[in-house]
Amino acid sequence: MKRFDLIVIGTGLAGLTAARTAIAMGAKVLIVGKGMGALTLFGNTVDILGEIPPGTEMAEEITRWIAAHPKHPYARTGWEGIKSAVTAFQELFLPPYHFAASGRGNSLLPTGAGTMRPTWLIPVTMAAGAAMIPAETLIVGFRGFKDFQGDTVSLHLKCRGVTLSLPRYGMEGLTAPAIARLMDDTSFRERLGESIRQQMAGERFIGLPAVLGLRDPAAVLKTLETVTGARVFEIPMLPPSIPGTRIFHRFREELIAKGADFRMGHSVSGVMVQDGRCEGIHIPNPPLVAEYRADRVILATGRFLGGGLWAEMDRIIEPVFNIPVFQPGERGQWFGERFFDPEAHPIHRAGVVTDTDLRPVDAAGQVILANVWAAGSILAHHQAIEEKSREGIDIATGFLAAKRALAS
Amino acid sequence: MTKKENQPPLTKLPDVCVRCATCMAVCPVSRVTPRFPGPKQAGPGAQRFRSAAEASVDDWIQLCTGCRLCDTVCPAGVPISEMNLLAKAKYVGERGRNFRDWLLVRSDLFGEMASRYAKIVNPLMKKKVVRWLLDALLQIDRRRDLPAYEYPTFRRWFGARQAPEVGGREVAYFHGCFTNTNETDVGKAAVAILEAHDLKVIVPPQRCCGIPRLGVGDLKGAREMGQRNIDSLLRTVRGLDILFSSTSCGLMLRHEYGPLLHLPGAEDLARHLFDICEYLLRLREESKSSVVFQPLPLKAAYFAPCHLRSLDIGMPALELLRLVPGLDVSLIEAECCGLGGLYGFKKEKFAIAEEIGKDLAEAVARMKPDIILTDCEGCRMQIRHLTGLRVLHPVQLLRDALERAGKQ
Repeated sequence: MKRFDLIVIGTGLAGLTAARTAIAMGAKVLIVGKGMGALTLFGNTVDILGEIPPGTEMAEEITRWIAAHPKHPYARTGWEGIKSAVTAFQELFLPPYHFAASGRGNSLLPTGAGTMRPTWLIPVTMAAGAAMIPAETLIVGFRGFKDFQGDTVSLHLKCRGVTLSLPRYGMEGLTAPAIARLMDDTSFRERLGESIRQQMAGERFIGLPAVLGLRDPAAVLKTLETVTGARVFEIPMLPPSIPGTRIFHRFREELIAKGADFRMGHSVSGVMVQDGRCEGIHIPNPPLVAEYRADRVILATGRFLGGGLWAEMDRIIEPVFNIPVFQPGERGQWFGERFFDPEAHPIHRAGVVTDTDLRPVDAAGQVILANVWAAGSILAHHQAIEEKSREGIDIATGFLAAKRALAS
Repeated sequence: MTKKENQPPLTKLPDVCVRCATCMAVCPVSRVTPRFPGPKQAGPGAQRFRSAAEASVDDWIQLCTGCRLCDTVCPAGVPISEMNLLAKAKYVGERGRNFRDWLLVRSDLFGEMASRYAKIVNPLMKKKVVRWLLDALLQIDRRRDLPAYEYPTFRRWFGARQAPEVGGREVAYFHGCFTNTNETDVGKAAVAILEAHDLKVIVPPQRCCGIPRLGVGDLKGAREMGQRNIDSLLRTVRGLDILFSSTSCGLMLRHEYGPLLHLPGAEDLARHLFDICEYLLRLREESKSSVVFQPLPLKAAYFAPCHLRSLDIGMPALELLRLVPGLDVSLIEAECCGLGGLYGFKKEKFAIAEEIGKDLAEAVARMKPDIILTDCEGCRMQIRHLTGLRVLHPVQLLRDALERAGKQ
């Protein structure tokens, strides 16, 4: 029977961060995911706290914000905790494909909906988006590619837009992974760059859907910038997210190279609990069920989409350990009146409540399982969507949970 | 010990799919051709419109290679590949299989014969006129090297040899067709490494596992093969552990006989089945192995076959290979080799298989290894074809590291 120092449940950004932190500390790690995690859905940039207006100093403002939100996951990590975790994340992505903040505060980046969205760390392939000037920007869409409507984006951003047929393809049914794969081919992107250049009318910036290659996006960027003579940027769009897939691949590559056992495809079907500790987990692969043991477990299973939280008709449960979930009273109180209410729906605050070390606690504040920690969006008292804090919470709490778990 | 089994029940209904498109990020086929709509559309998307009473219209369903990568990444637990497979079986069932597909899945029958006359068959299969005929009459693509036959077969070799005195417990070995007639050294290496671990090897009567028949949508044929194997293996091995060296045979035996084909006895058989590297690693973890490998100073690249990933046992071969001193082994970052078993031999699919394989070939070119290691015979064939490099099963290299020990 396999025994590990740490089992991480969840292959999203929180779980990956926890596993990588533990591996870097020399631990024997098993990371298990029901699927590929949310990075492939909407991973693009690293949000810390979009609420902080661009142009203001993040370090100062966030410290004040955390003090005003004492139950928030950031209250467990503090700005120092966020900073060291995010620095560790940046160290995983060495240049040329690296992540950086464009100033001391948030930057606004164009989105596939044609809006401007605040974020903190930006991959090099999106950096020019933060500097773009609408009148000097050309938005390029691809004919047959449904996931990015260049016309809509350019209309909303008040830029000029064109829709091009892709060299070699030009047929219906284009998908983001297919285009990203073609971009990895030098001659393909040179030809694409050339057809963009022919459409230009003196623009200094070019915005493209976020499909600039999977393997070597910085090289794709360089080719397109060289051929067009403009600054090129990717625009985040609908899933599957190519930039998110790059993040996932980089983590997986690092974890496997450093000896982590990386599993995907089946959810945890049961846990072995004895004397207030989790001794191990069960993973079914029909008709068999495998058993894995570890000294510590980190729960990073996400929220409703990933299955970390599960809504029954009248209550919300945490399906792996059956940890009590902080939640708004009855179902009628789960949602606000309007779908797009600027105030978060009460259900968005639901989640697992922890002690200062990120160990889940019950309603009386008592630690439930001595060797179980929680990280990521499953934690209670944040509103990641409205706050724009998702990646920050994942990275900071994944990092802290692993540090605390291995210190025990 | 208490067990909590709170996992919400999964349903096999297509409506479990939330259309998040994570599967689109990994599908090797839809990435290279717009002719296959990808797992999201081909699986749950089309499933909503399929009716047992109506004729199948899934003209593209045969383009699914059956790699099952989509299953391993789905966050909702949708049995995508199973939906595809059943749809393919219906499509093919209504139209009938061609002679080529009927013939190719019977390699276990003509393999014995071909092996006996290998000296005549092998040169014949290399002749241009023969390849042209096979291409024209049977649509077996002439650009694909046909695997050479070896004489004597693994079974003959095993039956004729002088078995060494081994004190330890007995284990049974499921070699699979390809090892028996085309790559006998894999079987010899498996036997050598097991005996070095003080295990007494028996080779029970066995037939083709049936996975080639699944690949051409022949569920009935697959069931027949499966039932024969279950009956004969359960009768002859009587509670012994059965080890397989082919991850595709292993996936079929362990996880498709029961959950997909509903064969009686499948669960009983599954409990006794282990991947050979999984088994050896377990012996080591339980401190039941004192085998020491001798230095093999080589730069090696390991590829994790798709079906290994569906077995969800991690990468035991990679872990074992890391124990060989001097062996510098790293993982090939590629999703799929593209061969898809018989898929890549078929004229109408050859180009797709080649295009998928290109990504792997480029990844290998960047790594510049001396040797490539992978657990699946299909991957080995394809990677030899794509790279021209020496490609072995991990047990062959482990055996080499043992033999050096013996000689020193």
